[in-house]
Amino acid sequence: MAASIWKRCATAAVKVKCLSASLPARRWLLSSAYTDATVWEAREKDPQNLALLATTMDRTYDRNLPVSSLSVSRFVDNISSREEIDQAEYYLYKFRHSPNCWYLRDWTIHSWIRQCLKYGAKEKALHTVKNKVQYGIFPDDFTFNLLIDFYIKDGDFKSACSVVEEVMLQEAFDLPSTQIVSLYAMSSYQATRPQLAVSEERALGASLLICGLQQDNTVGLSAQLLGNALLGKVEMLEGIHAVFRGMPLFWGHGYLGRALAVMERAAASSGDVRLTKDALDYMNDLLQELSSTSDSDASGAESVGEEEEQEEKEEEEENVKKEDQMDEADQAERAKLPQYVTRFKELSSQLESEGKVDSASFQDSVSALAQQNLAAAEKPDLEQYLSRVQAWEADNRQLIAREKEMRKKAEEEKRERLAAKAAAQQA
Amino acid sequence: MVTGWPRKRSHRGCRTLTAVDPGGATRNVRSRASVMVKKKQPRLIAEMARKIRAYRELKSRPRESQKYALDYGTMKRPHTGKMLPVLAWQDVRRESRLFSLLAGMRLFGVGRLFTRKSWLADHTEPSYWQITKVKVDYTSENMDHGKAWGVLTLKGKQESEVKEVDKVMYHDWRLVPKHVEQQLKDFEPAPEPPVRYVPYPPLLRAMLLAKHKRAAGSVLAEEPLLPLQRDVLLSKDYFRRQEQEAIKREGTAV
Repeated sequence: MAASIWKRCATAAVKVKCLSASLPARRWLLSSAYTDATVWEAREKDPQNLALLATTMDRTYDRNLPVSSLSVSRFVDNISSREEIDQAEYYLYKFRHSPNCWYLRDWTIHSWIRQCLKYGAKEKALHTVKNKVQYGIFPDDFTFNLLIDFYIKDGDFKSACSVVEEVMLQEAFDLPSTQIVSLYAMSSYQATRPQLAVSEERALGASLLICGLQQDNTVGLSAQLLGNALLGKVEMLEGIHAVFRGMPLFWGHGYLGRALAVMERAAASSGDVRLTKDALDYMNDLLQELSSTSDSDASGAESVGEEEEQEEKEEEEENVKKEDQMDEADQAERAKLPQYVTRFKELSSQLESEGKVDSASFQDSVSALAQQNLAAAEKPDLEQYLSRVQAWEADNRQLIAREKEMRKKAEEEKRERLAAKAAAQQA
Repeated sequence: MVTGWPRKRSHRGCRTLTAVDPGGATRNVRSRASVMVKKKQPRLIAEMARKIRAYRELKSRPRESQKYALDYGTMKRPHTGKMLPVLAWQDVRRESRLFSLLAGMRLFGVGRLFTRKSWLADHTEPSYWQITKVKVDYTSENMDHGKAWGVLTLKGKQESEVKEVDKVMYHDWRLVPKHVEQQLKDFEPAPEPPVRYVPYPPLLRAMLLAKHKRAAGSVLAEEPLLPLQRDVLLSKDYFRRQEQEAIKREGTAV
């Protein structure tokens, strides 16, 4: 049965590939074979009454006994409407705050995301993935791909970028398909030129950096450059601690220096690796902005206007507080800004002279990369997914069998106890 | 015997003394002794109360989330009411506890490396913990507390056993990102310098040479040297053993 499903998937993938070659622009990335739910729906069902499961779980929690991961997985598998998704969210929260929180199964998480997307609750899926501490939802790579692709299909690049941020926090950029899909989401978001708050800049920069580190081509290096530039901006404005707090980032100072090192590497490399022009332009604008703000800060500290004295005092207090938070190392970093500007100018002229500046925009290069590599990257993913689904089914069956055994044993013990009590009463 | 202290027992003892009896002294002592040192009655209810109190204390032990909860405004622990030391305040505001990092990771960060900011400041060689087992306190709000076990690598030297992670609740921990992990693991610690030896002080040297001459009969050929590094754990057992060995030996040399 699995073989026939696999053949069906393969033929569907081939069909989509032929179609995509003819279409000029794709609104979605992953092939329909990837996002197809037929394999998932074709698993053996374990129909349970949700109300019964809910009452059993409530009673177990009231008696302070641990709830098994099997009951939670059964609950999530048997969701059939939107209201039940809210109930399932509550039970996931309770399970996370119970002694068995470690044992939340992978297939439960995958099933939860699939059900949310099926019943139109994608905000709920995003909410649980963002609050992974409270819900314990840590999707695997395939599930992350599905979720990002769903948001790209809807054109909601901001939410797609928040999912990519979650992938970054898990450092789960292992599969090439994940890398391509996340780069696509981030480049599309960047192309819309949004107004970013400092925290959003930090998240975007970190995702770009960590994703770009996995790729060794034009797209990868440009992503690394953009990422380092954004993180360098946050470092200049708020200090290094604001950069790496809560993120899997290196705690060393000098992110702008590392961006320049990426440019050096691109200049020194012998292959066909280039840097996109708009990445270099972005870095240029960023450096100009930072140097102008630092100049205005310096001049603002000297001048004192009579009418604006109170405002100045408040600003100065804020500045003093911020400076307390800044270490001497951060101040030293800020002092290096003019050096960075000069070095950037040298390196960009060097890159242009070597012809290593790609005139295509970041988004276009990512789409080109996607068209080339995505189909090839999807195949091993699909195979792995199928084998994983089978492994999950085997685990599920084992759990059900184990539960039956434990119930039988508990009943036997109870019978023995009652018999012993009756015998003791008679005697 | 406490004199001048009003006690009924001593009066009783004195009264029996007045009787003149050859074996009276022993009988008096025995009866006096039996009156003085009354056989201790087993206090069963007190024993039971003690056991119940111990059990209740065991049951009401505060969970880790209660013990290590912190009010970030006043820097006090609500459980004990004590305030944290002032030098730690900046770290508490800026850095995070180990479990605050572990809560947001897959499988609670098993297999990942974590450093401490104090190690980064103190040692140039990399030191980190690799987490192998985690027991999280599920009653905490953000799964912020618990116990963790792992393998420590201090100053580049990896230890062989899994130990419980020390100072989990300190606001000092940093996650090592995957792209930096290899850099930390590749570090080779410099080999330890060889142990230096030094000649003994003159009196002690004379004692050693004399002892050897008495024991062996010949003069010691080579100079006795004192190693500047001793792998000895100085504990009570060690000193007790040394004393026993000294008692076995007779007298002093020279």
